[in-house]
Amino acid sequence: MPTILSYVAVQNGKPTRSSLEALSRAREVARARGADLAAAVLAPDAAAHADELGRYGAATVYAVSDPIFRSHLNTPVLAGLEAVIARAQPEAVVFPSTEGVKDVLGALAVRTAAAVLPDVARFEVAGDGAVEALRPVMAAKFLARVRAEGKPVLVSVRAGSYEASEAPAEARVEAVPFAFDEGSLRQTLREVVSSAAGAVDLSDARVVVAAGRGVKDAEGKRLVEELAGVLGAAIGASRAVVESGMFPATAQIGQTGKVVSPDLYVGVGISGAIQHVAGMANSRVIVAVNQNPDAPIFDVATYGIVGDLYKVLPPLIEAIKQRKGTS
Amino acid sequence: MDERFDCIIVGGGIAGLSAAMALARADARFLLIERGEWSGAKNVSGGVLWGTDLARLVPNYWEDPEPGWERYVGRRRLTFMDERSAFSLDFASAHFAETPYTGLTVLRSRFDRWLAGKVEEAVAQSAVADASFLAQNILVEEVLMEDGRAVGIRAGEERFFADCVILAEGVNNLLTRQAGLQTAYVPAEGLAVGVKEVIRFDRKVLEDRFQLSEKSGMSNEFVGFATGGVEGGGFLYTNRDSVSVGLVLGMADLRAKGGTPYDLLNQFKAHPVVADQLRGGEVVEYSAKVVSTGDMRVMPKEVYADGLLVAGEAANLVLNAGRAIQGMDYAMRSGLLAAETVIEAKRAGDFSAGFLRNYRTALENSYVMQDLRGFQGAVAVLHDPAMFTSVPRLVCDFGRAFFTVDNRPTRKAYQILRDVRKAHMSYWDLVKLGARAARSL
Amino acid sequence: MKFCVCIKQVPDVTAPIQVRDGALVMDAGRVVLNAYDASAVEAALVLTEQHGGEVEVVLVGPERATETIRKALAMGAHRGTHLVVDEGTPLDSHAVSALLARHFEGAGCDVILTGKQAQDTDAGLAGGMLAERLGLPYATNAVGLALEGDTVVVTRQGDTGQEVIALPTPCLVTCSNDMNDPRIPNLRGVMQAKSKPLASERVAEVPAPRVRVLGYEPLPQRAPGVRLDGEPAEQAAEVVRRLAEEARVI
Repeated sequence: MPTILSYVAVQNGKPTRSSLEALSRAREVARARGADLAAAVLAPDAAAHADELGRYGAATVYAVSDPIFRSHLNTPVLAGLEAVIARAQPEAVVFPSTEGVKDVLGALAVRTAAAVLPDVARFEVAGDGAVEALRPVMAAKFLARVRAEGKPVLVSVRAGSYEASEAPAEARVEAVPFAFDEGSLRQTLREVVSSAAGAVDLSDARVVVAAGRGVKDAEGKRLVEELAGVLGAAIGASRAVVESGMFPATAQIGQTGKVVSPDLYVGVGISGAIQHVAGMANSRVIVAVNQNPDAPIFDVATYGIVGDLYKVLPPLIEAIKQRKGTS
Repeated sequence: MDERFDCIIVGGGIAGLSAAMALARADARFLLIERGEWSGAKNVSGGVLWGTDLARLVPNYWEDPEPGWERYVGRRRLTFMDERSAFSLDFASAHFAETPYTGLTVLRSRFDRWLAGKVEEAVAQSAVADASFLAQNILVEEVLMEDGRAVGIRAGEERFFADCVILAEGVNNLLTRQAGLQTAYVPAEGLAVGVKEVIRFDRKVLEDRFQLSEKSGMSNEFVGFATGGVEGGGFLYTNRDSVSVGLVLGMADLRAKGGTPYDLLNQFKAHPVVADQLRGGEVVEYSAKVVSTGDMRVMPKEVYADGLLVAGEAANLVLNAGRAIQGMDYAMRSGLLAAETVIEAKRAGDFSAGFLRNYRTALENSYVMQDLRGFQGAVAVLHDPAMFTSVPRLVCDFGRAFFTVDNRPTRKAYQILRDVRKAHMSYWDLVKLGARAARSL
Repeated sequence: MKFCVCIKQVPDVTAPIQVRDGALVMDAGRVVLNAYDASAVEAALVLTEQHGGEVEVVLVGPERATETIRKALAMGAHRGTHLVVDEGTPLDSHAVSALLARHFEGAGCDVILTGKQAQDTDAGLAGGMLAERLGLPYATNAVGLALEGDTVVVTRQGDTGQEVIALPTPCLVTCSNDMNDPRIPNLRGVMQAKSKPLASERVAEVPAPRVRVLGYEPLPQRAPGVRLDGEPAEQAAEVVRRLAEEARVI
């Protein structure tokens, strides 16, 4: 029986939401093809995640355990994935499109002689085993329908493209022997500067509050943080306010930054340049607060508020507090 | 590398590129500097290049498999509008299909880049291929002067020197003013706002709708309700697979009457007659630009000085005399004449104002200044409020009465004319305006 | 130290583009140096200005892409190589990385740089593929780059923070545009670019692409939104009501 393999990225000791989305989609595809669904986990204690992945339908969990996976480094991740693919012989490997995955996808494709479709919004496996996908191109203005043939085909899925859904199965853990010789590493990870320690990772957040150029000063930033606080949201930013140093680079949303697709996105003082919209247009509900009635963000907003954020945010924060208090 | 140039050209629009082409052909060493990322990047005009000068610059341009122009003008239309009607004069002729064409619709962002490519080719074939340059994305901040004569330019920290400088910087002619050739203040009466949208169509739909062949196109000018009573006019030109539709609005009158160019353009596009022509199109570009109205009172004091020549719109060489909006052709001719003067000056070793005066003379002897002078009356007539209020109403009322067939006694044309005239203008005013128009056109 | 920067000519994604009958319709002349590659060129120039060395740019593309090489030369790169393919040749990351790998075999580059992705396709694969083909250690999505002797120190933007990675030379790094603001060529740069060496080699055989584009389509339209009017307090109350009752997200 053919196998569809789904790579699960682990962050802060947990599978990421985008990994579970990809896994859920992989399960649908596997079911339609009558294929086995397997998951691959590379983590210090990979087998520990098997139960959770079983809940999402993984029949086999290829567990590659090594302390080196505590932080991301492409060489060991490549080696681990190569080992799993050699063992599982999948016809397709489904990835969440995280920065860690982007870091290895090209090299992995060459190493496993695979065809690869990165950062897709939709995909399916055709009868002949080829993968067809829709992927945003041209600054996410259009979708390209692409087709890749090969064994395997690697496909990475943009966060928010599919719903994560459970379909419990009994997961069998298959520990993949892996002994990484750190001495063989030609690259060294000196440090990880985590700017959002403990905070919600933007690309995995259900609610995102994003700040743009309209947020001009410390007071504006405080309002954004307070709004994010009452909503339980991760904080994102446009390129302009990242460049000005007001928000960290990890907060940048857009074509060059992170792609977010939360249930609720609130853009505060964001005009909606195409590069930014490319990174958030997939959000389910979009609220935009902007002074300029012609700001392009209103073209994608579910609810648009034309107004001064300094005047709109305080009553908005109050109203949310009240609503949350009553429900 | 000897870095002294024969000529530095500021501006890579039609005037600058035309000058550059002539210089390249004459093996002169030039440096052309364009502030946009490419030639045409800063230009939003979608218009008609009238005349045949392009054939001098690019012989047999119509055979180019990747042409920079859109369509040749094979059909011309002048439309008078009131709120709900349009009365058009329409002229189409097979003569328009003869090459060289006498009118081309162009989208400047494409046309200028194409022309820049032709200049690059000419440079590559010249004897000084490595010593002439087209540079983009650079802003010239200053014309360097020495003892009262222009000797070069400064861009940022860089200085480059030449025997002379051609200013072809367009309507925002800061350097021309800096050089003292134009008073710093241009009255709003001399300026207009051009707004334009490019609306994309399926090519087949476009050709069927406007009765075009594969290469032919239409130019349509509008007067009257097009501008909602503001001084100015409207235009609609067919491109390869789009139309350019827009307004030219007198700045002073626009200011006085209020309203934004964008709203007026939407109103124009919503006119039943225009809307029918635009149905199913997709707006792909909107742009606005300040243009000169062609009023000679706002022309620079002089178009030359010691080591300095001014060409194209920087010299306010634009004319809207009702028959056509001209400017690109003037830019082309003036660029060519400026370059020819530079070539002669180089031969004579004399770049003084005394010699460069030849440029002025050549310009005066050309159709450019003859038309500009000859049609000032027409410009004034066009500025007459009656021309965009009562006259188009009168024409449309006449048209409606003349062309409407109902079950009532039909009036004779002269009766209709008399009635509509009474409704909109005094007889005396009409006669005066008619006489002025007849004289000036 | 020899830096080799792989660059690409891409359509200007800010230009008007339509999709018709499954094909993208755009002004073929509006092409630019891929912004991420421009950052890579800038990074290489900064490092050679600090530490000495040479910058070569390499481009795979049709004849007319020469102007993009000239642009990089005008920025300050020292020489260019143009691997010429026919206009319209289908290329994917696989094919491009194979052609580049062939070029780099024995070319003696110490550091290969490239943009982290191309603005038009946003695939971001070619860098990793090239590194793997050449057997080089690599890092992607660099937002900072420094040299410490023969060691390249890369700061890359990862999922949860910035990772600082040291690579020995030779190595490959793909660059984010957040790394720097690429310089705009000045007049002298433009003039010097004209006489800098530019080798042009016609590619004899282009590897068959593994990925085919079947067609393009517009993005699915979002349902039109609602504008909420009134005083700020009213707007706030209304949006919260709708978020709770209509959209059910709070």
